[in-house]
Amino acid sequence: MIRVVTLASYDEKQLEKFCRVLYTAFGVGCEHTGPLALPPDLKDPLDAEQALARAPLVRSYADDKVLYLTPRKLKDRELPSGTAPTTGFALYGQDKALLSTYGVKDLEAGQKLVARHAMQLLGHLWELHHCLDPRCAMYPPWTPSYPVGDAAFCTFCRDKSEQKIRLAKS
Amino acid sequence: MPDASAPLSITVNDRVVYPNQGVCRVTAIEPMEVAGQRLTFVTLRREEDGALVRVPQAKVVAIGLRKVATPEDVASIFAFLKADSDKADLDWKQRARTNVERMTSGGLLGLTEVVKGLAVLSELRPLPTKERELYDTARHLLVAELSAALNTAPCNAEDAVDVILFPPGRERPKRTAEEFRQRADVEGLELDEELLGLDTDLELPAEEEAPSEEEAAEEAPAEEEEEAAEAAPRKRGRPPKPKPAEAEAAAPKKRGRPPKAKPEVAEAAAPKKRGRPPKARAAEAEAAPAKKRGRPPKAKAEGAEKGARKKK
Repeated sequence: MIRVVTLASYDEKQLEKFCRVLYTAFGVGCEHTGPLALPPDLKDPLDAEQALARAPLVRSYADDKVLYLTPRKLKDRELPSGTAPTTGFALYGQDKALLSTYGVKDLEAGQKLVARHAMQLLGHLWELHHCLDPRCAMYPPWTPSYPVGDAAFCTFCRDKSEQKIRLAKS
Repeated sequence: MPDASAPLSITVNDRVVYPNQGVCRVTAIEPMEVAGQRLTFVTLRREEDGALVRVPQAKVVAIGLRKVATPEDVASIFAFLKADSDKADLDWKQRARTNVERMTSGGLLGLTEVVKGLAVLSELRPLPTKERELYDTARHLLVAELSAALNTAPCNAEDAVDVILFPPGRERPKRTAEEFRQRADVEGLELDEELLGLDTDLELPAEEEAPSEEEAAEEAPAEEEEEAAEAAPRKRGRPPKPKPAEAEAAAPKKRGRPPKAKPEVAEAAAPKKRGRPPKARAAEAEAAPAKKRGRPPKAKAEGAEKGARKKK
């Protein structure tokens, strides 16, 4: 089950549509769990890793994946090999991911892009790595062609995600 | 990079890398009795899923078990990824063999080479399924080790690799087969010269050079024969048999059994038919009428003819 937790107010109808896209992509249920708030001491731009660690907990079961949506900007990560532009952060192979919708007017207008980013973060939660296919949602998100693509996986990533979901403990 | 030949000192709680399995933690080093033998086993637990592995301590180095890379090793890996050595082998057999060897050896540099090589190849054309799986496995192991070495989240480790392979704000270049082919040709030529050893003398079998020797011997007068024999380099093996003059004029020898000599008559005759050979017929027999089947007619004596006349 995918649980979408909003960290600000979003339109309910648009959220419903967003959940439907994720349901189609992964073949598992997706629902909006409810709006919650981040601790007030976290300042903009948010440190994604820190924000995810301090995000409010929601009731979930084994193999549930929780996706936090925030309209706040995330800070680019300084990595040993360079700076990685950051729109989201996922705990690889675990159960929590944070996605920023900063720069998107609303979920209706930028639904394709937000869904594509969400699919990538959820894919990381199911142990999918970055893909070589520019049309796949698992392609590195900082490339210029990424926003143009559809919210869909390539054959390899779709098969792998399906396999991971099938092998889930629950 | 750690020296593979050096003995590995492992203690409990160390983080090690098992080739093709990933990062493990040593949970115990204890003697056990297996099949009547008392051996010391190193017990490892894979960090990814908690799978248990037991390895005899004597075989730890042989299987390629090593400690997790240090931050200095990681820096050299990033330098390798940044380096402009975009080589890709277009020969799929050679590529597959090399990649499997790199994966089996379990070195961090080997994993990086597999990831980079296949990423470069994918700029030419999409990877086939097997290679795509191999790329995914290599990337998974690489990210797990980098994450352990840098003590950071796997997501950060993966992005650190991809920031180099897929630079931000830049599309990956489209490559053509020609680029790879030209590079492979240059490398292939160098390799061929080395392997073939063209600058050294080739030793040919004695039989193939025999006719030239004979010709020289025939042309040279008897006095020069000895000098020619001394000047010619001696060859190993049996000396060539002297051939008759006809054989020299004949066409070069073919391999296999020599053809049988055919008599002239046989050459002139029509080709043989299958089945029973026809009977030789005398000239008279040919002139006589064809024989009738059945009992041959009785021979009539002259006396019998006379007796019959008397009765009448």
